[in-house]
Amino acid sequence: MRIGVLTVALATLFAVAAARLAIVVLVDGPRLAGIARSEHTAVMTLAPVRGPIVDRNGAPLALSAETRSIYARPRRLMRHSTAADRARLAAALGLTDAELEARLDRGEPFVWLARHLPPARARVVAGLGLDGVGAISEYKRYYPESNLAAAVTGLAGMDGQGLSGVELQYDRLVRGQPVELEFYHDALGHPILDSPLALRAAEPGARLELTIDSSIQATAEHYLAAEVAKSGARRGTAIVLDPFTGEILALANAAGAGVKGDERLHDTAVQDAFEPGSTMKGLLGSIALADHVIGPSRMIYCEDGQWRFAGRLIHDDDRNGWMNLGGIIEVSSNIGAAKIALALGARRFGAGMAAFGLGQRTGIDLPGEAAGIIRPPSQWKPIELADHGFGQGVAVTPIQLAVAYAAIANGGMLMRPYVVKAAYDSAGDEILSHQPQAVRRAIPPAVAHQMNLLLRNVVSGKDGTARLAQVADFTVAGKTGTAQMVNPATGGYYQGRLVASFVGFVPADDPRLVILVVLYDVAHGHFGGLYAAPVFSEIAATALDRLGVAPPQAPPSYDTASLLPFGADDAPAPVAAPVADSPAELVPEQGGGIPDFLGASMRDALALARARGLTLEIEGHGYVVAQSPVPGRNSAVASVRLTLADDPAGVAGADLPQRAHPARRANRFVSRFARRMRR
Amino acid sequence: MPTFDRRLLYHFDWTVFSLALALCGVGVLSVVSATWGGRHQGLDPLVVRQLVWVGAGAALMIGAALIDYRVLASYAYPFYGVAVASLIVVAVAGHSTGGSRRWINLGVFNLEPSEIAKLAVVLVMVRYLREDPPKGGWGLKHLAIPALMLAVPVALVLKQPDLGTGLILILITATLIFVGGLNWRLMAALGLAAVLAAPAAWHYMKPYQRERLVSFINPQSDPLGSGYHIIQSEIAIGSGGKWGKGFLKGTQARLNFLPEQTTDFIFAAYAEEFGYVGTMTLLGLYAALIARGIWIARHSRDRFGALLAVGFTGIVFWQVAINVGMATGMLPVVGITLPLVSYGGSSLIAMMIGMGVMISVNMRRYLF
Repeated sequence: MRIGVLTVALATLFAVAAARLAIVVLVDGPRLAGIARSEHTAVMTLAPVRGPIVDRNGAPLALSAETRSIYARPRRLMRHSTAADRARLAAALGLTDAELEARLDRGEPFVWLARHLPPARARVVAGLGLDGVGAISEYKRYYPESNLAAAVTGLAGMDGQGLSGVELQYDRLVRGQPVELEFYHDALGHPILDSPLALRAAEPGARLELTIDSSIQATAEHYLAAEVAKSGARRGTAIVLDPFTGEILALANAAGAGVKGDERLHDTAVQDAFEPGSTMKGLLGSIALADHVIGPSRMIYCEDGQWRFAGRLIHDDDRNGWMNLGGIIEVSSNIGAAKIALALGARRFGAGMAAFGLGQRTGIDLPGEAAGIIRPPSQWKPIELADHGFGQGVAVTPIQLAVAYAAIANGGMLMRPYVVKAAYDSAGDEILSHQPQAVRRAIPPAVAHQMNLLLRNVVSGKDGTARLAQVADFTVAGKTGTAQMVNPATGGYYQGRLVASFVGFVPADDPRLVILVVLYDVAHGHFGGLYAAPVFSEIAATALDRLGVAPPQAPPSYDTASLLPFGADDAPAPVAAPVADSPAELVPEQGGGIPDFLGASMRDALALARARGLTLEIEGHGYVVAQSPVPGRNSAVASVRLTLADDPAGVAGADLPQRAHPARRANRFVSRFARRMRR
Repeated sequence: MPTFDRRLLYHFDWTVFSLALALCGVGVLSVVSATWGGRHQGLDPLVVRQLVWVGAGAALMIGAALIDYRVLASYAYPFYGVAVASLIVVAVAGHSTGGSRRWINLGVFNLEPSEIAKLAVVLVMVRYLREDPPKGGWGLKHLAIPALMLAVPVALVLKQPDLGTGLILILITATLIFVGGLNWRLMAALGLAAVLAAPAAWHYMKPYQRERLVSFINPQSDPLGSGYHIIQSEIAIGSGGKWGKGFLKGTQARLNFLPEQTTDFIFAAYAEEFGYVGTMTLLGLYAALIARGIWIARHSRDRFGALLAVGFTGIVFWQVAINVGMATGMLPVVGITLPLVSYGGSSLIAMMIGMGVMISVNMRRYLF
């Protein structure tokens, strides 16, 4: 018998099997375990918990409310419950017995019985204490103030993803990590929820603090909507921002009756471009002043209201003769603006517009910002250059226009506008903080100051086009705009369909607010002044009150009339030599003429003098309030006497626009405090 | 039935008996785990049935032990005849599942005659080989009759088709002939012939059998098809790790990634939950049972008893070796159960009877 041989053979084979097992388990085990895990583990992703969005004062604009979703593991439930139990369950869920049975009977190991129940109702279900029924927290987005600031806040979808506005722009921060439910599934893919069920802890999204002031926002929305309804405009936009920081205090869009539009999904203020019309003239004037193409006193002939240029007629609303820049802006002369644009030339005008940020995205933290349309200046034909002077043939977004005027208001700095001040994680730590950010200097402080003064006459001058923009107790500076609307079908303009706008700032001598109001598609007339200016006035009055801005206690310490030759005077003396009507002869001051120092800081004045080879005699400090001899004359004179004075508007020459002097701020605080006490 | 000697009780082989029941216990646990949390409340009917088989098997094991194994010699040929007849019945009127016709429906349960055939082939071979071999060992002419007796059931089993059982029948016969005293030179010649016959065997294989061979050599060639069994089995065993995932905590078997987790791949299901340590314990139980079987063979008082012990031990060994080899990816997938552990009445009861006969051999070595 060969049992011994057999024993050895069997033992050998057994040892081989044992060795093979050792290899599979001990060598390949970890890799195989990984494969096993990936095979049988699945992850169910539930909507993440979005962080709240609040306004600058902490008032909630978007919140995520906890809801409870009830699920069942039917097999388990059937095993551990009686028919009476299930009847109670159905009642608690608001289902009929048959509906509940149908859901439990699908043969699935996991079924949802109800999604997004209010916690109180979910507690009733939990109170039944049924084995095989469970609840998971899910979060649902809601907007407690309904459509307030809808264009800024935007919208988040049912699955917790941002769709528009800040909800989209800051989705990465607000969204939070998705809640993940890890479970096993069988070879056929059915989830097995009797298996260990891991709810992966998720970090909720960040809390966003907007620059929006809900109260100002509500005011803006209210008056804008009222005006849209009253004027029959198709749509309207209003932007309120702080000129010194670029913070957007309010941003509203309104749709006219019968106009379809989802405010939460489309934001006209940053996503649509329009031809600005006469509001361009304030920017044009600033560019011309900054480039020393004209001084404030240079007289321009406005052709009595009709001027044929390059084969086309340019109209003014009034028959104007000789006017300086102030007059052209006050009465909004297209012909005057066209001549200034032609004097500037395409290159300088184009560069000036770019410096004001026109035709470029402002970088506002809202999605889908449009850049506007400004063709390269090298391609502008003379007639186009003339048109651009009064804001036709170029398209800008409302936010661009508002930010450009903010630069005039703050002393010349173009600020990046923003709607989110800060973000805080769930632990309350600041994870994002936006500080005011200057993009570039658009115009020198002195020019900003000059334009500030000129723009006041638009509102308060007797021929001003925007007298309806006046705000009681405050000085307002601003500009109206009335522009033709481009017909996208023909590329030409619509007949009798206009965009009316007003952009301005208040208080003019210490601007706190820049407000832009645009009404799209209104009928013919003096539109900017008629429709948009009153909205400005209403928003401004309420917002100033809201911000506690006290009216100036005394009239400004300087006399505008003495500074500006045109002033409020009806018949301005042509101080400068009259300019011939040919555009070619409308030459800028340069070379030997005495330059215009008015409004310049000491530094700028010294730089300008050095460039012209002039010596200066300087009295006082601050900004140039008077000069002798007057600009443009006596090119032979080598010495100019300048009188400087402290600038009450606080237009300083630093890189970042500065608010008023601390002492003045303190003053303002005291007066505001006193005002509150009186109430 | 011969008279029963009370002294036998003192010599009852509790080792084989308890090892067999321990293995049955492992089997029941594995079936419980594979069916736990299924659609049935409490114990799955599969578990209940397996428990019934274990009970019946234990009773039959004792019954077989009580019968003097020597009388089996006279029943060998009739029993063989019955087994072959039942295989023919299967071929004619068998109950088929999944492409193979292996069962006879007896109403209460499905009988698998190929399991009976294993017992019958062991018995008939031992009956034939109990004579002492001539000097120099069995020659070719002596093996003609065993070869014929083997060929008939093998042919019928392969027809079902059941490659695994056919393989076991051949291996167990070879083992018995080798132990019974095969001529060394003839053995070498037969080995050579087997190698040469391989291409011919390939030719006669069913497509699914060829697929299994291909996928054994390269399981990734068809990971969701025939390679799936091997891959999933290795995943289950390997993911169990050293200590296993714990009873009722296996994922691959319980979530049905592992196919045939109560029958052919029960080893992998067990390994997943009890780990390397558990499989070594299980293999240890088998090794102990096999060692005990060999011990019984060595100590048997006659050649008939010794060969019977070798035969039933051989069945256990070959099935364990092939089943574990298949589960760990060493051997191609052939349907072979893990003896005493896999779910299935016919296989369990046949094995228990075999163990009972071994006990009987051991009990009677003191009697003269």
